[in-house]
Amino acid sequence: MLNDLQLKSILEDFDVAYWKINLLSKSISWSDHFNTLIGSPETKEEPLEYFINDILHQDYRYDFRVHFEKLIEDNQSFNIEIRLKLANDKYRWFECRNIRNKEEGIPKSAVLLFVNIHQSKRDQYTIEENFFYYHETTEMTNTGGWYLDTKNEHIYWDNVTKRIIGCPLDYNPKFKDRLKFYAEDHHKLVIDASEKCQKYGIPFKIELKMISLHGREFWVRATGKPVYNDEQEIIGIRGVFQDIDENKTNEINLRSSLDIIASQNSRLFNLAHIVSHNLRSHSSNLSLISQLLKEAKSDQDKLEFLGNIQEISGSLDDEISNLNEIINTQTILKKKYSKIRFEDALETVLVSISSLINRENAQIIGQFDELDEFTYIPEYLKSILLNLITNAIRYRQPKRKPVIFIRSFSLNDNAYLEVSDNGMGIDLNQHGDKMFGMYSTYQGEQEAKGIGLFITKNQVEALGGTISVTSTIDIGTTFKIKF
Amino acid sequence: MGQKVELACIIDDDKIYVNLVKKIIEIKKLSEDLLIYKNGKEALDYFKNSLENISSDKIPDIIFLDLNMPVMDGWEFLNQFVKIKNSFTKKISLYVVSSSIDPSDLERAKSFNLVTDYLIKPIELKKFEKIFGKNAA
Repeated sequence: MLNDLQLKSILEDFDVAYWKINLLSKSISWSDHFNTLIGSPETKEEPLEYFINDILHQDYRYDFRVHFEKLIEDNQSFNIEIRLKLANDKYRWFECRNIRNKEEGIPKSAVLLFVNIHQSKRDQYTIEENFFYYHETTEMTNTGGWYLDTKNEHIYWDNVTKRIIGCPLDYNPKFKDRLKFYAEDHHKLVIDASEKCQKYGIPFKIELKMISLHGREFWVRATGKPVYNDEQEIIGIRGVFQDIDENKTNEINLRSSLDIIASQNSRLFNLAHIVSHNLRSHSSNLSLISQLLKEAKSDQDKLEFLGNIQEISGSLDDEISNLNEIINTQTILKKKYSKIRFEDALETVLVSISSLINRENAQIIGQFDELDEFTYIPEYLKSILLNLITNAIRYRQPKRKPVIFIRSFSLNDNAYLEVSDNGMGIDLNQHGDKMFGMYSTYQGEQEAKGIGLFITKNQVEALGGTISVTSTIDIGTTFKIKF
Repeated sequence: MGQKVELACIIDDDKIYVNLVKKIIEIKKLSEDLLIYKNGKEALDYFKNSLENISSDKIPDIIFLDLNMPVMDGWEFLNQFVKIKNSFTKKISLYVVSSSIDPSDLERAKSFNLVTDYLIKPIELKKFEKIFGKNAA
């Protein structure tokens, strides 16, 4: 058996102090270590009162007194956690408990132990705190954990993951079904990332589309890291899913509205350039005339200048109505989309330019069996067809009868229209960048106003499409519109 | 103004503008003779032709070149004209004349050594007189 001295040193090593209470006299004697802990006070006060009022943290005073009295009166044991003010004036956590009395009959004394539990109490707080932050973070960021046990072929999802995927909390995904929660076009991405992680231990962080239990597609950011066993073999992948659908959708919307704004901006810029340039050329002529009028000596000269003014005002008027036509393109949002058959649109256009077609003996072939109708603004489709057909006839190869081949088709859910001709063609290297510009006429065509392709490009782009052109000199030109 | 330019050349597709300049030259007696082309290609053809038959065609002392023209615009004309300019023994002053106030056009025009100046339409009558005075024989 240990002697008292040994016992005492063990207790001190474990930072355990004690009181010995004589139940008959109710007197308390503190162990030396207890005195050391609280700084060996010199007090005339009764030890119990001193302890309760000066050492014990006020939150525990009432409870301690109750327990202590029950211990003394009824020999009822207790065990509470309390905070004591130590010699350095700092509060520390202690567990306070009495040693069960094993004496026979009525006990004469009781022992109260004070065990320093500050470190473990703090650890516990830290854990609770961390758990709180972890929980709040996962909730706030919609981040769920998952574990793929590749060895035993199991999938584990935490509650947030289950919520993200929209399944009940008792749902357990099957290992063989693991791919069905990813959008098909992202299967390869998922397989690649998890294979690399599983084989070579390369962590991943990817954005992908998942599919909820009810079939809704949504975007997540997924991270994964390998899990090793003691033999340093990879036995699984652990990671998180973050639901970023809202952000991703916003991002995609933002990007598409940015594209719309950029294209509108470039159209407006173009328009501003046209307005300033084309109106300026008339105004500068007017200014020149007014200077000349001042200088004119004969009435005949003056009359001639007045005639010129008339001419200028006429072309200024034309110019403004052209600009109006272009500006009208920008206000398409008021026009209505509806289903339109290509055949019907072409028919209407051909009737309206039948005299031109007959005069030039043009042959126009429409092939719309791949895609016979689609949803668009009918006026626009007609205007696009009209401009492309008249353009093709205008730039025909003079030695050939003009042939224009028009076809529609659909590719990746997009409607396309192709207008090909056997005309003179154009050197795109030289004229390509100017082709869709304003008033660019080719080959000195007198009647060409040069705004047809400009308007067509504007119409197509205003509705979110694109137009491209390929051409070979003396062979012909093909315009391709993606609606 | 005692002296006259012998031959001036206007390359511009704006008929009204061309007529007005013609009128100014007549009234102010600025040039003996005038060549008018409605685009760069027509003018270039003339210059190429006159190089081949040196005696027959006259070379202008002064050229007014517009920028925005169909078929061959002013820029393209400048690119082509640079290649043949040194074949002419005569000194030719070339003015780019445009209603464009875009600074990048001005800079681009000035980057050609053969461009004497960049004039913005409308040109004052006095400016015309000054330019012709400078280039009179």
